[in-house]
Amino acid sequence: MSEAGLWIRHEVEEGASVLYLTGVWRLSNLAAIADALQSLGLRVRGQFVLDGSRLQEIDTAAGFTLYRHLAAIGCTTTTVSVRSFDGRHERLLALVHERMTCPPAASRSVHRGLTRRVGASAMHVWDLLRSQTAFVGSVALELLTLFRRPRLFRLKETVSQFETICLDAIPIAALVTFLIGVVFAYLLGLQAQRYGANIFVVDGVGLAICRELSPLLVAVIMAGRSGAAFTAQIGTMKVQEEIDAISTLGLSPVQVLVIPRLVAITIALPLLVFVGDLAGILGGVLVGELQLDISAVTFFDRLHSVLPMSAPVVGLVKAPVFAAFIALIACRMGLLVSRDARSVGENTTSTVVQSIVWVILLDAIFAVVFQRLDI
Amino acid sequence: MDTNATPAADQRAEHVLEVDSVVTRFGAAVIHDRVGFKVTRGEVVALIGSSGTGKSVLVKEIIGLLRPAAGTIRLLGTDVWGASQEQLNALRRRFGMLFQDGALFSSLTVAENIAVPFHEHTDLPAALIPPLVGFKLALVGLPPDSATKAPAELSGGMRKRVALARALALEPEILFLDEPTSGLDPISARAFDRLVRVLSDSLGLTVFIVTHDLDTLLSIADRTIVLSGGKVIADGRVDAVMKLDAPWIKSYFSARA
Repeated sequence: MSEAGLWIRHEVEEGASVLYLTGVWRLSNLAAIADALQSLGLRVRGQFVLDGSRLQEIDTAAGFTLYRHLAAIGCTTTTVSVRSFDGRHERLLALVHERMTCPPAASRSVHRGLTRRVGASAMHVWDLLRSQTAFVGSVALELLTLFRRPRLFRLKETVSQFETICLDAIPIAALVTFLIGVVFAYLLGLQAQRYGANIFVVDGVGLAICRELSPLLVAVIMAGRSGAAFTAQIGTMKVQEEIDAISTLGLSPVQVLVIPRLVAITIALPLLVFVGDLAGILGGVLVGELQLDISAVTFFDRLHSVLPMSAPVVGLVKAPVFAAFIALIACRMGLLVSRDARSVGENTTSTVVQSIVWVILLDAIFAVVFQRLDI
Repeated sequence: MDTNATPAADQRAEHVLEVDSVVTRFGAAVIHDRVGFKVTRGEVVALIGSSGTGKSVLVKEIIGLLRPAAGTIRLLGTDVWGASQEQLNALRRRFGMLFQDGALFSSLTVAENIAVPFHEHTDLPAALIPPLVGFKLALVGLPPDSATKAPAELSGGMRKRVALARALALEPEILFLDEPTSGLDPISARAFDRLVRVLSDSLGLTVFIVTHDLDTLLSIADRTIVLSGGKVIADGRVDAVMKLDAPWIKSYFSARA
C-alpha cells in the first residue's frame, strides 16, 4: 500500500469518484494526511462521495483539511456527498463544512518603507512632546487649584510616597555616590601624585561630587527606581480601570495620583542629593587616608577653605528640576498606558529612557546657564 | 438545533474525570471538604455554587495548576498529582481550558494567539497553520478580519470566543470553561451557550463548566453539581437538582422567579 493509501483511497464506482477515508484522521497525523491528499492528484469529475466506513477517528482539523482540499480543486457543496459515516463523525463534518468560509488568516506584519517609518516615528515623538506639554499645563492648573483650596492636598498619600521615594532610597543613593567618590578620588589621585599635588584632590572631589556627580547620579537612580515605579503603578491602575473609577467618583486623577508623587519626589531628590554629597566626599576621604597621605582632618580643613558654597547649592538647585521632570514624564507615561499588559512594560521602559535623557540634557543646559552667570 | 440530543450515546460509558475526596485548605480555612464526583465522556457538566465556594480553585486543581491538600484527581486516566512531568505534558495536549477573562496573550494578535498551541505542541508544516487558525476562528463564529486584531481591540464576547478557539486548537477531549458567559450581554451569552452545545454534540467533547448563569445551566447542561460549604450537596440532572430541598439550591433557582 502506498503512503497515501494509509489515509485515503480513490475508486471510481458507477461514474462517481468515491474517496474512502481510512484510519485515524487526527491533528497529530495532519501533515501526512495533507500530503496524501496532494499526492492523489484529484480533479473535478462529476460527483464526489466521501465514504467513512473505514474511518476510525476524525477531528475538525482533519475534516477541515479534507474539505479545503476539495474546495481548492473546484468542488462545491452540491458535488460532494457523504456516506457510511459514524453519526458523530457525520455531525462533525457537517459542522466543519458549515463553518468553513475562511480565507487564510493574514499575518499582521505589514512591511513599511524606511521613509514612512522615519515619518511615523517623527510624528510619534511630536505627538508625545505635544501631549507632554498639555499634561504639564493641566498639572500646573491643578496646582493652582490647590493653592486656592489647600484641603484638596493629599498629605497622607504624599508622605507615604515620600517614604518609598526618599527614605527607602537612602542606602542605594549613598552607596553609589560613595563608590563614585572613591573611584573619582583614586583616578584624580593617580594624576595628582605625579606632581606631588595630592592636596588638590580635595578641591576636585569636593567640586565634582557636589556640583555634578551627586545630582546627576542620584537623579538617574531616581529615574530608574521611582520613575519606573510611578509608571508601573499608574499604568496597572489604568489597566484595571481604577483611573476611570477615580474620575467617576468626581476626583481628579492628577490631584489623587500625580501631585502627591510630584511633590514627594521634588522634596526627596534634593535631600538624597545632600546624602549623596556626604557619601561621595566620604569616599574621597577614604582614598585620601589610604592612598594620598591626606588625613581626614586635613581633608575637611582643605575642603572648608576651597569648596565654594555655590557648588553644593548649584547641585541642590538642580535636583528639584530633575525631580519634577522625572515625575511628570513617569506619571504621564503611566496615564498613557493602554488596556493591556504589554503596554505597561513598554511605557515603563520609555519612562526610564526619557527621564535619563532629560536629566542629562537639563544638566547640560544648567552647565551653560551657570557658566554665563559666572556661578 | 436539537438540544435534547444525547451526546455520545454511541460511546460506552467512560469516566474522563474522577475527583475523589479532594480537600483544599487556604491557611486555616477549609475550602473543599472531601469533594468527589465523576464525569462521563461526552457529558456537559455544570458546577455551580455561591461565590467563594472554591469552584475556580477546584478547576485549577483538576488541570494541575494548584495542588490539593488531599485526595486524588484522575483526568483522562492520568492521576494529575501523581503523574511525571512528561505524563502531565502529554495530558495538557488533551484538554482545553477557557479562563475567566480569556487570558489571551496581549502581545500577540488573535491569529497568533490561536497559533500558539499549534507551534508549541505539533510539528505541522508552517503552511498548514494559517488556514487552520482561520478555520478555528470560523468555528467559534468570528469574522476573518478579527485575525489581525490585538486582544485589547476586541469586545468581551469576542475575547471569549478567541480564547475558546485557542482552547479548541489541539482538538481536546475535554474542555473546561470558567464562567464562560460572565460579563457578556444575554444575547452573546446565549449564542456562546449554543456554540458550546453544538461543539459538544458534534465533536463529542466533554465540557465542564463553572458558572453562575442560570440560563447556561438550564439550556446546555446535562448534569449539574452543586458545591456548598465545601461539599457536593447535589449532583444530577438539572431538573432533578432544581426540586431538591436545600436552602441554597432553592434560593438559587428562585432568584429569577
